[in-house]
Amino acid sequence: MAVKSPHTTMVGVSAVRAIEGLLVPAGATRAALDDAELIAAVKRSDPGSREALYHRYKRRVYGLALRIVGPSDAEEVAQEAFIRIFRGLPKFRGDAALSTWIYRLAVNAALSHRTRRAGARLPTVDDPQADRTIEAQPAAEPVQGDAVLRARLERALVRLPTGYRTVIVLHDVEGLEHEEIASILSCHVGTSKSQLHKARARLREILAAEGITASALESG
Amino acid sequence: MATRDPQDCRQSTTTLSAFVDGDLPATEAQAVRAHASACPRCTISIAELAAMVTAARRLERPEPPPSLWPAVEGAMARHDRPWWMSLRLFGGGALAGAAAVSVVALGLASWRTHRAAPAAVAPGAALAVVTVSADPLLAEAEAEFARAATTYERSIEKLRALLAREEPRWSPVERARCEERLAQLDEAIASSRELAHRTPGDSVGNEQLFAAYQQKITFLAEAVHRGGTFREGEPPR
Repeated sequence: MAVKSPHTTMVGVSAVRAIEGLLVPAGATRAALDDAELIAAVKRSDPGSREALYHRYKRRVYGLALRIVGPSDAEEVAQEAFIRIFRGLPKFRGDAALSTWIYRLAVNAALSHRTRRAGARLPTVDDPQADRTIEAQPAAEPVQGDAVLRARLERALVRLPTGYRTVIVLHDVEGLEHEEIASILSCHVGTSKSQLHKARARLREILAAEGITASALESG
Repeated sequence: MATRDPQDCRQSTTTLSAFVDGDLPATEAQAVRAHASACPRCTISIAELAAMVTAARRLERPEPPPSLWPAVEGAMARHDRPWWMSLRLFGGGALAGAAAVSVVALGLASWRTHRAAPAAVAPGAALAVVTVSADPLLAEAEAEFARAATTYERSIEKLRALLAREEPRWSPVERARCEERLAQLDEAIASSRELAHRTPGDSVGNEQLFAAYQQKITFLAEAVHRGGTFREGEPPR
């Protein structure tokens, strides 16, 4: 059976080769390697297993880093997150889902980075430099229609305080449950919920200030 | 909620957000529903919040730059490398061997009470004490010791060869001082080896031997690296 996964086209030849290098249980398709098998392969130091795990989670980790620390530091944070992941994996006991554990390390890497860079603040809604900094960021690409709205939504997210932004990205963008978010952020479920609702309220204010309406969002 | 003045509705955005998520208790959710049916502002707020959540869910996970994986892979390669590899100076064998020998020495020390009788040591062999143990774990440690010692000896040979290339550039005095010091180090190695042969069940001899090897390697490496004017104990220039 041919190797085919939703990410195959983005992964590239090297990753496919890496996945093929894994020791796959008889009868199992390579694309169907679940997290437990991948963890076991990494722990055994199977060739290509790290790269396979990287490709499975790279978008989640990088996307989270991008949205928490911004485009200029996202790669550095994602790199740090993956280093923490691979160093910590031998001790990963499976108490939480692998994805939750990876999100936790990625969030920690991002928040640690922000703490270290406290002097060079990212824009928040409370930051008088916010708009200038946002404008200074490179435009993603010429956008039209729903892409414009997505870009505006991304820019609005950047203007949220870090705590709000982290929760809203984890819940609304990444689709995590509050129980997972509470585990990742080491807080109560109730705290996660209240932070999310406050974050949405703030985001709605920001969007409204930019003239983005519900109908525009819906059509987007 | 139903009795709230519509002018105050902006204060309830967090409640409306919880309502959108279905997080409110049934009675409170019913109250919101009843209020919203008569409050255009809250109706719009609920629609906006729902649309905002839907739009956020549609945001894509961006593809990281292609440079990310090579950076991670490189960092992990450095992390995976044994710590003593970072000490390599000339071809990597010398200090690696020294470190490996030390590690094995510690292991052998902990098992010294389980040692079997020492095997005969070939004349000129690098190892002072190589035993053949019935304990597979100990036998494995001894084999590792032998491999490390071989590496160690090879490293000394390489450093000696490098030194031989450097020495012609030194003054006669510098060469003489170097050879004198090497002779002292060889003597220390020989006496430690002899001690280790005499007391195969005791790790002290081995520990002395390893220390002597390490001292010689350090001296050779420094001499090759820093030249004939080098003095032991001096900080690097």
